[in-house]
Amino acid sequence: MKILLETNKNAGIVALTGLDLGKTIGLMYHMYTNGVIVTVRTEVPKKKPKIQTITDLIPGAQFHEREVADLFGVIFEGHPNPARLVLPDDWPDNLYPLRKDAKIDEALAKNETAPSKAEPTPAQNEGDLVNIIIGPQHPALLEPEKFSLKVDGEIVKQVEPRIGYVHRGIEKAAEQRTYLQDVYLVERICGICNSCHAACFVETVEKILGVEVPLRAQYLRTIILELNRLHSHMLLLGHAGLEIGYETLFQYMWRDREPVMDLTELLTGNRVISSAMTVGGVRRDLQETDVPKIKTRMATLNKKMDFYHKLFENEPSLKMRTQNVGVLSKEDALKLCVVGPVARGSGVAIDVRKDEPYEAYGEIPFNMITRDEGDSWARLIVRLDEVNESINIIDYALDHMPSGPFRIKVPRVVTAGEAVNHVEAPRGELFYYVKSQGTAYPERVKVRTPTFANIPAFIKIAEGGNIADVPPSFVSLDPCFSCTDR
Amino acid sequence: MVVNLWLVFRVLVFPGFTSILFFTMFCDWVERKIEARMQNRVGPAFTGPAGILQPFADVVKLLTKEDIVPAGAKRTVFRFAPILSFSFVVFAFCFLPIDGAAVIPNSSFAGDLIFIMALITIANFFLFLSGWASANPYGEIGATRVLTQFLGYDIPLILLALTPAFIAGSLSISAIAANQYLPFALLAPWAFVLFIITLQAELEKDPFDIPHAESEVVGGLETEFCGGKLAFLRLTRDVQIVFGAALVVELFLGGPYGPVFFGLPQFWYFLWFVLKLLAVVVITEYVTCLFARLRIDQVLSANWKVLLPLSVLSLALTVAVATWIYPLMV
Repeated sequence: MKILLETNKNAGIVALTGLDLGKTIGLMYHMYTNGVIVTVRTEVPKKKPKIQTITDLIPGAQFHEREVADLFGVIFEGHPNPARLVLPDDWPDNLYPLRKDAKIDEALAKNETAPSKAEPTPAQNEGDLVNIIIGPQHPALLEPEKFSLKVDGEIVKQVEPRIGYVHRGIEKAAEQRTYLQDVYLVERICGICNSCHAACFVETVEKILGVEVPLRAQYLRTIILELNRLHSHMLLLGHAGLEIGYETLFQYMWRDREPVMDLTELLTGNRVISSAMTVGGVRRDLQETDVPKIKTRMATLNKKMDFYHKLFENEPSLKMRTQNVGVLSKEDALKLCVVGPVARGSGVAIDVRKDEPYEAYGEIPFNMITRDEGDSWARLIVRLDEVNESINIIDYALDHMPSGPFRIKVPRVVTAGEAVNHVEAPRGELFYYVKSQGTAYPERVKVRTPTFANIPAFIKIAEGGNIADVPPSFVSLDPCFSCTDR
Repeated sequence: MVVNLWLVFRVLVFPGFTSILFFTMFCDWVERKIEARMQNRVGPAFTGPAGILQPFADVVKLLTKEDIVPAGAKRTVFRFAPILSFSFVVFAFCFLPIDGAAVIPNSSFAGDLIFIMALITIANFFLFLSGWASANPYGEIGATRVLTQFLGYDIPLILLALTPAFIAGSLSISAIAANQYLPFALLAPWAFVLFIITLQAELEKDPFDIPHAESEVVGGLETEFCGGKLAFLRLTRDVQIVFGAALVVELFLGGPYGPVFFGLPQFWYFLWFVLKLLAVVVITEYVTCLFARLRIDQVLSANWKVLLPLSVLSLALTVAVATWIYPLMV
């Protein structure tokens, strides 16, 4: 691992998967280098699960290790902050939910009757530092998560995140459902980038099965994924307006986002959770009569985007609030292993659609947008430009739509095997690992969502900044907590 | 006795308390409607024709809600500060000539412009106290932001208000309004524009609505308030906005005076006053919709580094060109 990092300075960690292998716990360090995922395997005995931390090599691995410590009970020696991350504070000790032998119901019933552990005492103000807690309920956050800021005057000195407030145990639940049911389950990890989750999962399963999806299905998936990206990016750009008190921008952007939602409904039958993906293809074909409808709406949207480009590039109050705010340098972006528009806003050219093309992306020409500024403004502009790219991709895909079947039949029972896969979700690289034992039920489903990888970047950019800069720099990361917690 | 009844009617009904209250709600509706239409929304639509009764319904609803005083709040201050703040703004209103004379006739005196500015500052100070007494970190931050902002912007506001006073040669607001055969907005447009910008900051509207930045400080100083006290806080804010617009009308747009066609001059004066005031409300609302919210340090440096020197310059410019302005006034 060390050699890998030393030979390639662009290498970083994607995910850390824990796996219950009976007597031992398997650890898989998924690293990326030049767009390829390399997996390093190791095992630790279940009785004494101890291993050296890798946070000194890659600071971005901090959260991954804390999560595995929570869910599998692996102790990472030398970890700078081995506190709980996803499980609640009153979760019983020595109960690791993703171990196969965990008796969760029993232990929880015992925990109910036992006196609950005292609430952690609220951190006291230390000297000149004032503690400001953002969340779990706060108007700047639309989803529950907690960030304790230590503030000196108006300057943020330290940020301590606490996630897990919407942890729903989806990775565990996926092990108890069939592959087909899991498609709908993983789609519900995130309401906004739902198609990406479903697509990534079905692609992983298809890799294990070794089936090739028909070309028409690949194009249809591409269109659905791009519509997903369009609506996600426009949602965020409008929301950014709300966070900096620019309500007019918010209302306009969301008005123009409506047609995208309508098109998603036209194409898949659903407005938000599209449920379009299935193992072996998509569930609905595109009607020839719908093609002109999509094309005209895309053309209108493209025209409207010119207005937003002008606005983002010229509006003085908007630029005052976002330029040079929350700057993330290229070096830090690489060190913290950030993904998606956040990385591209800092000049790191990573995009799974380019690096390892999936679906029809290999055949469709489009540009990867990067900005070198690394501030909140650059991250928003990257998304604004990507909206235009998405429109072009959809246009191209409609023009070059191949004929043929849109779905093939695949067996319900998946052959034994394992696979990793990643797609470019609107918020960045989404990673799945699926292991099959040759039954209709997966042995393990691991999900690494983009926001999970981007939260360390938030800590980095918030520290040393103004309190009033926290909302705009935070929203420019496009955080999604139900993704993060799963 | 007759005189006293007339006075009571003027103070309580027209153009006094009741009229001011209903007019404030009307302006609130206009503002909400304009903002909504500019943002491609509908705005209030259900209560009354075109939603015109919505602000009234909001106040009534708040008054029927449970009134909670949080433990740890300074009870007396928490209870009375919103009402006092509201009263001070309405009291300041009484010195403005709304239908040709001040609400309380013969109450205007030589320095009442300075006096009503002081009243507004006191009203703002009570707003600060109400947030400060609520024992909530968001309330306290919101309150200190109110204090920092209005203390800063009061200075350029008063300096700019001196421009019309200088041209009119009087510190009495009635005299200033009565002296404008040509509105001062035309004679000294530089002061007019600066005054509107400063007012935008003084009234805590976008791009200067730092104390209400809900993504940073939740509800600001209103965070712990509910029920009747919240209703009074909201009303205070609305009356302040109307008062600010009224001040612009009196100082720069010729007050309530305008052509009288027939019948009672009071009626026409009131009509002109309302129309001019609505025009100012439209301008401020337009500015609100155009900009994003600035940061507190940007707002403060904009005040001390830009607006304050500019307002001094504006006053100097007025003094310098006064000899050419005077002949235009007759």
